[in-house]
Amino acid sequence: MKTTVRTVGQVSVVDLSGKITIGEGDVVLRDKVVELLDGGHSKILLSLEKVSYMDSAGIGELVACFKKAREKGGTVKLLKPSGKVEDLLQLTKLWEVFEIFDEEAPAVASF
Amino acid sequence: MASATTVKLVLSNEVRLVDAVHAAAETMAGIAGFEEDDALNVGIAVREAVINAIVHGNRMDPSRKVEVGLFARPRSIRVRVRDQGAGFDAAATPDPTSGDNLMRTSGRGILVMRAFVDSVDFKFREGRGMEVTLKKTRSGRRKSRTDGQTHDQTTSSKPAAAAAADNGGSER
Repeated sequence: MKTTVRTVGQVSVVDLSGKITIGEGDVVLRDKVVELLDGGHSKILLSLEKVSYMDSAGIGELVACFKKAREKGGTVKLLKPSGKVEDLLQLTKLWEVFEIFDEEAPAVASF
Repeated sequence: MASATTVKLVLSNEVRLVDAVHAAAETMAGIAGFEEDDALNVGIAVREAVINAIVHGNRMDPSRKVEVGLFARPRSIRVRVRDQGAGFDAAATPDPTSGDNLMRTSGRGILVMRAFVDSVDFKFREGRGMEVTLKKTRSGRRKSRTDGQTHDQTTSSKPAAAAAADNGGSER
C-alpha cells in the first residue's frame, strides 16, 4: 500500500492506494497516522477511494488509528470508501463508528 | 461428476505467505467460474482462514505448518485449511459487532469469512489441530474456464451486509 499526504487547510488528507492487509498495508497505515499525530497533525482524513480491499487486520488498524487519534485529542475520518472496503465497513458495523464522507470538501469542513 | 482441479499447499507458519494463498484462492475461484468480485470474496475469506491458522491456531510458532487444499469444480469451490494448534470453539467467540467489541482491533476474521462464502465449518482434529472448510457455489450458470462453454451470466454474489445479518454476527 502507498500513502501520500496533502494538507488542506488544517486537515491532513492521507491518500491511500492498494490494499490494507496483514503485514503490509496495516503497518504502513499505522506508521503514517502515528507520524502525523506525533507531528501535531490531529485532523486526519483517510481517503480510501483507491483502496481495493482490506482484511480483518487492516480493519483492526483503522480502529487502532481511530483510537490512537482520540487518545491524543485528534480525529480520524474516512473519505470515499467503495466496493469491498465499503462492504467490510458495513459488515463490521464500523460504518456507525467512523464519520464517512463521499466528497472531500464537506469532509474537510467537518473538522 | 467431473474431478476437481486441485491445489495443495504446505506453508511455513509465516504471515508473509498469506498473499500467496489468497492469490491461489482467487485463481481457483476463477477456474470454478466465479466472476472477479466473487473470486475476490473467496480470496478474502481464505486469507482470513489462513491468518487465523497462523496467528491464533499455530500461535505464530515457526515450527508449525499450515496445510491448505483448494478444490475447484465448474460451479463451486471448496477450501480446507488445517493448522497444528490446540483448537477453539468458534461458536463461543465474541460478536465483534456488539458493544465494546466494536472498538477492538482484532476478532473479525470469522465474521469476514462467513460473509464472503456460503459456508464455514470448523472441526477439531484431536491432537492434530483445527480444520476449517469453506465452500462457495455459483447460483447460476456462466462460462467456466474448465469446460470452455458459454452459459448465462447469473452468479451468486451475496452482499456482505446481508450476509452479516444472515449470520447473526456471533463470531470473533
